[in-house]
Amino acid sequence: MTNRKTKRFTAFLWHRRIGLLALALVIILAITGIMLNHTERLKLDESFVNTPWLLSWYGIEPKDEPVSYRIKNEADSHVLSAWQNQLFFDDKTITNLDQNMHGAIAAEQFIVIALDNEIILLSYEGEFIERLSTGISFSNIQRLGMKYKRPVIETSEPLYYMADEHILDWDVITNDGVEWAEPYTLNEDERERLLVAYRGNGLKLERVILDLHSGRIFGQYGVYVMDAAAFALLWLSFSGLWVWSSRRRKMRKKKHYQKHHRNKP
Amino acid sequence: MKTYLHIIFIILSILTSAGVPAGGVYQEPDEFIDQVFANEPPKPEVLWLSKELKKQMADILDHNYTGLRIRYWQQHKEAERKSVWILEEIGKEKPITAGLVINNGQIELVKILVFRESRGWEVRHDFFTDQFKQARLQANHQLDNNVDNISGATLSVRAVKKLARIALLLDQQIQKKQSE
Repeated sequence: MTNRKTKRFTAFLWHRRIGLLALALVIILAITGIMLNHTERLKLDESFVNTPWLLSWYGIEPKDEPVSYRIKNEADSHVLSAWQNQLFFDDKTITNLDQNMHGAIAAEQFIVIALDNEIILLSYEGEFIERLSTGISFSNIQRLGMKYKRPVIETSEPLYYMADEHILDWDVITNDGVEWAEPYTLNEDERERLLVAYRGNGLKLERVILDLHSGRIFGQYGVYVMDAAAFALLWLSFSGLWVWSSRRRKMRKKKHYQKHHRNKP
Repeated sequence: MKTYLHIIFIILSILTSAGVPAGGVYQEPDEFIDQVFANEPPKPEVLWLSKELKKQMADILDHNYTGLRIRYWQQHKEAERKSVWILEEIGKEKPITAGLVINNGQIELVKILVFRESRGWEVRHDFFTDQFKQARLQANHQLDNNVDNISGATLSVRAVKKLARIALLLDQQIQKKQSE
């Protein structure tokens, strides 16, 4: 085999190898590229992904179960839930939490929510009123209950404190006649609505397609993998051109080619 | 041998002290209230925030204030009208809790009670907080005195300045309400 033949053969071999290697990535690049070119027509920005593993991959699938308490005030009934460091009033996000929830009650004027070392007050419309730090006067809240429509707290000692009607001051009491808040198990429908609220509007299909196209969906090195695919495409273009031109040159030397193409301009 | 041990001890002390975070709880808010009122704190009161007041607060904070009411402690003694506020504002990522004492419309004391950020804790030092003493709120809701920045603690300085302005604004509101 001559040196020239080896060169041509090597280029063809690498053209084939790289083509096969990049096949899957080039298909992804091409299909996602076409989809992104027609985002509006395909309504990618209006479609949402609900696949659990994909949501989990994006970190928007909750890992644990919500902690919920149901409160009743006259005709109204609401569910207060703590899930993945967020507080929900029914299916409305209220605020971020960095402590565990130990109960929620419907006091005379407000909804009272007890965390480890904090009390949150909400209006009956779910408006955030105040967040009180319990400080040193009492901490390590274990349970939240109600007596005379006023909130009562059990601490780890245990000691029992009851607030005034405006939830401004707390007095030590005995634990007689306290109605303690019991955790509430959400039904399937309530859980589903809470899940939708947790995810917000969810994950847009456009986001997933964009991340697939850029490679970001595969993590921090995914971008480089897609870069490699783009370089592979470049290589395929040039090596394809090389293989085609060298074959053409070879063909031109053959007699039957010259015979058939002699009269053509 | 003793000298070597001394050197090693000094080096270890420097290394370990450099790694200790300076943030944390410097004083519990309850203790601060007790201290200000000489262990006889008055019962807390609340100021409900009107739409207009919330807007003024948002202008100072550069973001909306979350909540509909703020508690405070106040004491009227002869010519002294003192109000105490425990307020929080985020420096860079986490809230800084400060105790502020306003006396006759002027700042009497600013104390950093809890600092949760990893940087900028220098704002807790007296050399910084003393600059707020006697400061009043101008009509444009700026402080009437100059508070120097601390290199490397710009965001914390900004947060404490905002809290000082908010405390003065809230104090103005309660004094206005009480004079009505």
